[in-house]
Amino acid sequence: MAVAQRWIAPELESGANVLYLQGHWRLTHVPGISEEIEALHLAGNHCVLDGSRLEELDTAAAFVLLRRLATLGCIAGTIEVRHMAERHARLLTLVRDRMATPSVASPSSHRGVLQRVGRASVRTGHILRAQASFLGRIALELVDLLRWPRLFRLKETVSQFEVVTVDAIPIVALVTFLIGVVFAYLLGVQAQRFGATIFVVDGVGLAICRELSPILVALIVAGRSGAAFTAQIGSMKVQEEIDAIRTLGLSPIQVLVVPRLVAIMTGLPLLVFVGDVTGIAGGMLIGAMLLDISPTAFIARLHVVLPLDALTVGLAKAPVFAAFIAMIACHMGLTVARDARSVGEHTTSTVVQSIVWVIVLDAVFAVVLQRLGI
Amino acid sequence: METVLEVRDIVTRFGADAVHDGVSLSVERGEVVALIGGSGTGKSVLLKEMIGLLRPTAGSVHLLGTDVWQADEEQVNGLRRRFGMLFQDGALFSSLTVAENIAVPFRENTDLSERLIAPLVGFKLSLVGLAPETGDKTPAELSGGMRKRVALARALALEPEILFLDEPTSGLDPIGARAFDALVRTLGDSLGLTVFMVTHDLDTLLSIIDRVIALSEGKVIADGPVAEVMRSNHPWIREYFSARAPH
Repeated sequence: MAVAQRWIAPELESGANVLYLQGHWRLTHVPGISEEIEALHLAGNHCVLDGSRLEELDTAAAFVLLRRLATLGCIAGTIEVRHMAERHARLLTLVRDRMATPSVASPSSHRGVLQRVGRASVRTGHILRAQASFLGRIALELVDLLRWPRLFRLKETVSQFEVVTVDAIPIVALVTFLIGVVFAYLLGVQAQRFGATIFVVDGVGLAICRELSPILVALIVAGRSGAAFTAQIGSMKVQEEIDAIRTLGLSPIQVLVVPRLVAIMTGLPLLVFVGDVTGIAGGMLIGAMLLDISPTAFIARLHVVLPLDALTVGLAKAPVFAAFIAMIACHMGLTVARDARSVGEHTTSTVVQSIVWVIVLDAVFAVVLQRLGI
Repeated sequence: METVLEVRDIVTRFGADAVHDGVSLSVERGEVVALIGGSGTGKSVLLKEMIGLLRPTAGSVHLLGTDVWQADEEQVNGLRRRFGMLFQDGALFSSLTVAENIAVPFRENTDLSERLIAPLVGFKLSLVGLAPETGDKTPAELSGGMRKRVALARALALEPEILFLDEPTSGLDPIGARAFDALVRTLGDSLGLTVFMVTHDLDTLLSIIDRVIALSEGKVIADGPVAEVMRSNHPWIREYFSARAPH
């Protein structure tokens, strides 16, 4: 069945294919036009384009026509144009000239599962290696700092400290308090069955100080400050501020990384201590309300059963977590590519990596301290 | 001649700052017009008011017969398909590849099948003088000149009748800038485009522009062919052109 000749009417005139283009050859009509010319067949490869019935022509329509003609064997030399308005003829010429370069189909970007896993593993390896070398660079800069203490940027460090630590106190207090409440409640429900509610104090004190407070606070700081570091440094990178720092003869590590590293390493233990206090307070509240342990009894018991070790272990873990968060965050910030999307990707990656590292380090601490008998 | 763009008595104020104080101008079909003016004279602001991105304090803009600031959203969207805009730094979507960037207007505004879009995108790339392989790159991997070309291809995707350009040659080296000028002029002539650009570039003015409109202190201070505007006695225009006076 012949397709209706709405856009193009082929006729054979003295041995030549004459194609009468008709109507408005515009982008909106390209689907119809393209359907019609797909059905087109020519006798021989000589053809004449007649523009006497053509109202409008744009590049998209001209392109699909010339492309189809090319597959039918009509190329530049064998196409003749007649009765064509000057602007249409000019446009046809432009399209013919510019489409000379064949458009290649873009290679398929679908990857198999195995390939994806492989690529991700290689990428992770690269990141780990880069982070190890970043660690080395920071160490060298810290040595410089010991030799020339004047390089230290006190003002920047203090302002970072304020943002990282002081501003985080409310959220840290809230979260650890609630966890203290939940933990004491769960323990209390179990302990009540055996009439051993007083042991809730042991459990809450130990768990909050040794594990829960350090981990929770580290996760909060990773999400809050780690993400902020990456986003700040990343957008500076996009604006070429990092390059500017370098050309002024300054080291980006001294200017940007060291203050953040120091601020977070000093701030995190303090936040953990805040978390210890509020977490225990949460436990105390549940003790007083549900378990008949008065605050006085709670504190007296805590004095007896909470070893100083539990507190110091918790506080000692904090700077290590902090160092990893700061290093990951600053490194991800400094390696942002020059576009907006990359800042977002790296910020997400900072949070994920920090969380994973905090958990891994905590597990390492648990094993090592167990072996050491602390 | 048909008037495709008519701006009448535009007044723009940001708080107490008056940017435009009664700006009127018009553009005929097929013209290549440049808007010049010192920094802070509101050239880019005027451009945004013309294409419906920023509402002027007073005055009217008629684009292709539609009053941009009286029309409803649907009419304005219909209008947006009939003009193209090239932003200063390209404004390519950084999460998409070059080819996907150019395919966006096709996918969003036409019924073309993917089978047709792919070759059309390739053709648009070669129309602006880029190799088809460029399509697989991301905008971050392109040089400034290439980014502008890709942005031009995207602006031309829907076969606009008017092309707005915001400082098309800024940030390009002189060779790249002249090549871009030539490209705009060739495409403009062959496609019958009306081109309206904001520019600082004297070389652009002298090579491809039919008419110059100069903006100073909130008003149009000169409007005419380059040679005519160059002879103006207005102090700012004299200073502007003397920066490149032939010695």
